[in-house]
Amino acid sequence: MESYSRRWFLGAGATTLLTTGLTACGSSDSTGSSGTVTAFVYGDDATKVQVKAVTRFNASAAAKKAKGRIKLEKVPGTDYPAKLRTAMGSPNAPDVFFNWGGGSIKAYQEANQLVDLTDTIKSDPVLSSGFLPSVLAAGALKGKNYGIPMRGMQPVILFYNKSVFAAQKLQPPTTWAELLDINKKLKAADITPFALGGADIWPELMWLEYLVDRIGGPEVFDRIKNGDASGWGDPAVLKAAETVKQLIDDGAFGKGFSSVSYVNGGAPAVFAKGKAAMHLMGSWEYSTQLGKFPDFAKTNLGWAAFPKYEGGAGDIRNVVGNPTNYWSVNARTGNKDAAIAFLRDCASEAYAKDLVANGDIPTTSNAEKLLDSSPNPEFAKFQYQLVQQAPAFTLSWDQAVDPDVSTPMLTEINKLFVGKSSPAEFVSALKGLK
Amino acid sequence: MTQSAAAKAGRPHAVWAIPGVLFFVFFAVAPMVLAVYLSFTTWNGLGDPKPVGLANWQKLLHDDRLTQSLTVTVLLTVTSWAFQTVVSLLLGVWAAGRQRNRAVLSAIFFVPFLLSSTAIALLFYALLDPNFGVIHQDTLGSTSGAFLAIVFVGGWQFIPFHTLIYQGGARQIPDVLYQAAAIDGAGRYRQFFSITLPQLRNTATTSSVLMIVGSLTYFETVLILTQGGPGTDTAILPYLMYEAGFKSYDFGYASAIATFLVVAATALSLALVKLTGFGAMRSTREGM
Amino acid sequence: MEEQRPRRRRHWSRRPNPLAGFGSLLWLAVVIVPIYAMISASLTRQDKALGNNALKPPTDPTFANYNTVLHNGFGHFLANTALVAAAVVGIVLVLCVPLAYVAVRTRTVWSSAAFRLFLLGVAIPAQAVVVPLYLMIAKLNLYDSLLAVILPTAAFAMPVSVLILTGTLRDISEDLYEAMALDGASATRMLFQLVVPLTKGGISTVVIYTALQAWNGFLFPLIFTQSDGPRVLTLGLFNYVSQFGVNIPALLASVVLSGIPIFAVYLVARRALVGGLMGVGGK
Repeated sequence: MESYSRRWFLGAGATTLLTTGLTACGSSDSTGSSGTVTAFVYGDDATKVQVKAVTRFNASAAAKKAKGRIKLEKVPGTDYPAKLRTAMGSPNAPDVFFNWGGGSIKAYQEANQLVDLTDTIKSDPVLSSGFLPSVLAAGALKGKNYGIPMRGMQPVILFYNKSVFAAQKLQPPTTWAELLDINKKLKAADITPFALGGADIWPELMWLEYLVDRIGGPEVFDRIKNGDASGWGDPAVLKAAETVKQLIDDGAFGKGFSSVSYVNGGAPAVFAKGKAAMHLMGSWEYSTQLGKFPDFAKTNLGWAAFPKYEGGAGDIRNVVGNPTNYWSVNARTGNKDAAIAFLRDCASEAYAKDLVANGDIPTTSNAEKLLDSSPNPEFAKFQYQLVQQAPAFTLSWDQAVDPDVSTPMLTEINKLFVGKSSPAEFVSALKGLK
Repeated sequence: MTQSAAAKAGRPHAVWAIPGVLFFVFFAVAPMVLAVYLSFTTWNGLGDPKPVGLANWQKLLHDDRLTQSLTVTVLLTVTSWAFQTVVSLLLGVWAAGRQRNRAVLSAIFFVPFLLSSTAIALLFYALLDPNFGVIHQDTLGSTSGAFLAIVFVGGWQFIPFHTLIYQGGARQIPDVLYQAAAIDGAGRYRQFFSITLPQLRNTATTSSVLMIVGSLTYFETVLILTQGGPGTDTAILPYLMYEAGFKSYDFGYASAIATFLVVAATALSLALVKLTGFGAMRSTREGM
Repeated sequence: MEEQRPRRRRHWSRRPNPLAGFGSLLWLAVVIVPIYAMISASLTRQDKALGNNALKPPTDPTFANYNTVLHNGFGHFLANTALVAAAVVGIVLVLCVPLAYVAVRTRTVWSSAAFRLFLLGVAIPAQAVVVPLYLMIAKLNLYDSLLAVILPTAAFAMPVSVLILTGTLRDISEDLYEAMALDGASATRMLFQLVVPLTKGGISTVVIYTALQAWNGFLFPLIFTQSDGPRVLTLGLFNYVSQFGVNIPALLASVVLSGIPIFAVYLVARRALVGGLMGVGGK
């Protein structure tokens, strides 16, 4: 039947053109239309604060004056740095984006893709006096400011399950010997001492960060951060790796930790359900638990500083983690005024109050007086004082160095934790990184 | 009309093939050439690629991770091929039989193929989670466990497809061959080895080429199930390339790995095709 | 003398084969157990699922998980995926049928060179060209659009499609062409009146294979799209991992839902689907 096949064929062709055309028309708006300012944010539980800020800003007079609306895009956490990189390399780059300062924005700065906010901050009293100076400085590169703080401070804290500790008659450890002792007692009671999201690798990194700091002091990593790869050869690094291996072999993290993920809620769940008694994690663990297991967070979640290592050079008051997260502005944005107007909201009291209500500690200068209205004033004050009194605050290693160093570094850490590398092999592999 | 005129008339002008060739060249061949070019540059995703000569290739040759990745890839491909071919062949021949129950079971066997690689990887990722899944032990935490999981998941998904291929091939084997063998007194197993297997030669080649090139698509499975782990023990070449490109943002190096991958895959496919004479498109029914 | 008649044995395919029967039942278990576990877990309440034995049927089945998935963009991802599949199939057919026709019927140096190009093209894995494609797509301003997924997917489905179509076309006897030529038919008429009807089997194989490739494609959407707008089903599933986390029931519910459309097609058009795929092997 000739007409059938000819018609059918032409129909196929027409459908193709139609659908292709439809999809071309329906594709998303690219940035550059001055009306919408796209903001990329790390898509976790804490985004609710940013969501509120966006709603508040879009309705405000400042938005009307700058003729811009913010569109918030929550990028799933596992992929955030890669998605940001691919987006920034395309014409559809975001106008404003979440980052950790340090190495995480170095590439963008070198490609001249960041707006230098130094002068904007200096000339604007809201911005210049709105934040803790040390935190603003931590978001700077070579003395120039590229980021405005937009989340709480995130030191890494040793969390513990109060009811498990009470049942086992334990106190949080202040020295390494005490930690090892607690480890033994918990194992005897058939409880996994520490929850660990090994699948994501950066939770494992936290152990090394603290141990290197406690054993050798913050100078060890400072050297590495400034580009000296031989810094990995410092004896503190080897000792930290050996200590970690000892912990793993003692069963401190249980058996399946390399398949458990923090990002998808596995490790928090293991901790909240009492399968593990302790969890070394950033302070956001509190708001995560508050969101996922509120009963546990409100009644049984305890916190302590990381213990001291006997004979080590590091001060017990030193802290590792993220000073905070920052908003940076893309130099190619179509509406710089709207972007910066949005950023000013981060210094406002309303924003700080939202952060506090979420269980975070703002890095704003007005933070201290707001702590009492936190859902957990005790925890808020503990955290605030921890950071305030810290002689040194080391930025998470994977954010402090370049991505082409941090990716192999994380792989080596993974191999150390799963037993594929010995501590000595671990150190020599790291020394070989650029 | 003369014979030769009739033969010449009605042949489509080569022009008809041009849109297809152009499209393919633009979206498949040109990127391949570009990948080779990029392997001689350095590029981090921002700005433009900068030529650096042989730097990436030198790094490639001295990279221990590449050797390990290559070994894992080859091992995975060979193991998957063996597992899938044996099971698909047996199932396919079995399914070619005309019993009613075989048809019903075949219909059920096909269901895994309906799910995407992503969905299946997610399914087994959930089932194998040591804390919240079905098997309460850390299967994916050991090298052999992770490796076998990938082989199994790949097989679970693709055996239905290859079973169909072998079934189609088996159904086309002319009955007369079997009848002749039966007259000669050949038993079931003898018939299988002397008739069925040889007649499935072309089918086996198609299936094997698709399987081998397809085992590179285990990328999703590796990404979701093991992330190349434990450590780097299941980091197959595509995963290594993905990591170099989209985690280290070293796109020049990733392109070098990619080029290497394509050269290896092409060489393998060409070898397979040449070995079995597939390219000549000979029928297995020659001389009948 | 009476001919010695050989003992008639039933055809090999009709005799019972206990070993094969056992093997098939074994494989049946291998196929069914994960599917059963998946469905069973997807109907379990989230808090009951943790640490549970997923092989036991849920004591308190619920559709809440399916609700969760449907309220998290599932419908939108499904629509995107359907659009992508339709567009890819369309492009492949429109480009490959004439191409295969030329490859088989025109015996010039160029046409056989083109054919060999596609033969080699089977070996180009999509992963290898992701980086340069990304560069190209960014420069074409197609990043984060459905077209960025459709065009490369169609291109990569072409080699196998061309192979299948040439395989089917080769079986059309020359006599038929000559008969039509004697009637004064042009190449175009031959294409529509002779080739297309006779290669329906090959075309349906191509349609099914290409549609499945497009439907299940993951790598291109992963790298070339980013926001919710052009997100396809496979990528949606991948994001559900971090979104639902250890809510395994919801995650598995999304897997079940993702299989339903193709399963529906399977139920309705099983013969066509299966027959089409079998065609890949017959050549």
